[in-house]
Amino acid sequence: MSQPKEIFVKTDRCVGCLSCTIACAVEHSKSKTLFGAISETPVPKSRVYVEWVEPDGKVPLVCRHCEEAPCMYACISGAISRDENGVVITDTDKCIGCWTCVMVCPYGVIGRHLEEHKAYRCDRCPDREIPACVSACPTGALVYDTVDSFSGKVRKHASRELLRAEGG
Amino acid sequence: MHPGSCFGQKGDNVTEEKSKYIIVGGSAAGMAAAHTIRRHDRQGSVTVFSEELDTPYFRPLIPFVVSGKKRAEDMVLSGCGPYTGRDIFVRTGARVESVNTAEKTVSVQGSGGLAYEKILFATGSRPYIPPEIKGTDAKGVFALRTLADARNMAKRVETSDHAVMLGGGLLNLKGAFALLERGLKVTLVVYSPEVLSQLMEPEDVFLIRKALDRAGLKIKTGCAATHIISDRTGVTGVALDHGGEMSCQMVCIGKGVRPNVEFLDGSNVRIDGGIVADRYTACNAPDMFAAGDVAVTFEPVSGDRIMTALWTNAVEMGRCAGQNMAGIKTAYSGTFGILNATQVAAEPFVSMGVVHTTDHDFEIYRHATDTTYRKVVFNPEGTRLIGAVFIGDITNAGLYRYVIREKMPVMHIKRYIIDHTLHYGRFMTGKI
Repeated sequence: MSQPKEIFVKTDRCVGCLSCTIACAVEHSKSKTLFGAISETPVPKSRVYVEWVEPDGKVPLVCRHCEEAPCMYACISGAISRDENGVVITDTDKCIGCWTCVMVCPYGVIGRHLEEHKAYRCDRCPDREIPACVSACPTGALVYDTVDSFSGKVRKHASRELLRAEGG
Repeated sequence: MHPGSCFGQKGDNVTEEKSKYIIVGGSAAGMAAAHTIRRHDRQGSVTVFSEELDTPYFRPLIPFVVSGKKRAEDMVLSGCGPYTGRDIFVRTGARVESVNTAEKTVSVQGSGGLAYEKILFATGSRPYIPPEIKGTDAKGVFALRTLADARNMAKRVETSDHAVMLGGGLLNLKGAFALLERGLKVTLVVYSPEVLSQLMEPEDVFLIRKALDRAGLKIKTGCAATHIISDRTGVTGVALDHGGEMSCQMVCIGKGVRPNVEFLDGSNVRIDGGIVADRYTACNAPDMFAAGDVAVTFEPVSGDRIMTALWTNAVEMGRCAGQNMAGIKTAYSGTFGILNATQVAAEPFVSMGVVHTTDHDFEIYRHATDTTYRKVVFNPEGTRLIGAVFIGDITNAGLYRYVIREKMPVMHIKRYIIDHTLHYGRFMTGKI
């Protein structure tokens, strides 16, 4: 059975260039072009966030589409559901902007669209093969992969480091 | 025949006389439990009894029926969000009158009995109508709880100009805005010194109060209704305790709720205000569980026994009960007495944990701007976050909830909590 892909973050690779946030906002704009997006009202929103940690850490944060998604169960209007690919989706028509999802998301990755009074989040770019943020990342800090493949690569990398440290 | 309608398929092993799982109550806790059971036990029959005639729906949406923004069919629970389980047999218009815990049967009004192996009590709560207010049985007096109430209220709007809301809680505020949207004049009569007194203190509510005033809601604080005046057309006015009188055609009572436990009168199920549930959502005898508004549970920070009346809490506890009923022993993490997020009059707010701080020696930090307000409450030693109110800016509220609930030592993140700059990145890098 094919495993769905997810967005992984390599915090040590992020340089804080914010290319991911721009690409995300453009992908979620009406025109889907940078110049079109910046002139739209309301301004298209990014669903990926890059937070800064003193002294020089940058951490991209994006919805993890949690297995037992707290937002989905907390939603009081039935607006949040999981699609067949495991992606947790907010149905904008059903959302009433009560922000209960914002109150229960431990990662702080659900945004509030103030003009439309709706919650929004990463939808893993349903129209694209690879999510826009991942495509845009110039340093490989964002990775689109399956859990098995990604963890395999992490293991391989760790073994190499270990061997090198032992002089192998 | 059973009263009301039925839908859903019966499981393979259901008979007319027995259902493996019986759930009394078809709202948040009951339906969350039913769908959770179905995830873990694909065969066992699940029967839900709901007293209401409507099929289960998202109760918090009913003010939209009053305002006319949503139709009842837009609020149906089945198939939405996580409620996608199949073969759940819901009997609407079916009131469980009593439970025989020795023989493991329920008696349903007008249609005999049904046996069970495991039962969940999720009967919820009903509006509290203060007995000191006289004349509450008049036509045009509402306590917004069910879809049926909302329909009746929406109808009464057509012949009303002025509505008086008794109680300054969230339910009445939502009702008030629905009525304002319909073009009514609305007056809120609040006994407390300020609105939302259950969710914050008077000095915290300033921005919300300003927004309510701006929205055109009339608010009278520090006063109560003594009786409702009516004639054959229904409500014509409300008499207040300081002697004044207001003419109106509608009255809405929002004075809190009481648990529906009467069906267990004479049974051996332990009741203490509500139905007492242990850490595993079980009652005091085997194979009986309780969840939602009707259950007495505990507060994770203090360990105190509490009851809450919140959709989100009810779903969480219902899911936990469902797991336990399906044989997966799961501890319930308890719930904050206060755990509210919403938006009133374009002002978003979150209130959670311990927020009533007057006469306590908690360590408190407040910060106010023209458009935002926050209060974060630490224990007296200042080592743990125990509560927070955010108004205007509710960014990352979920993270603060997590810090409170997990009783995290906050020494390294306290500065960020006070400044409202906490974010998950700080946890990921381990530099906190």
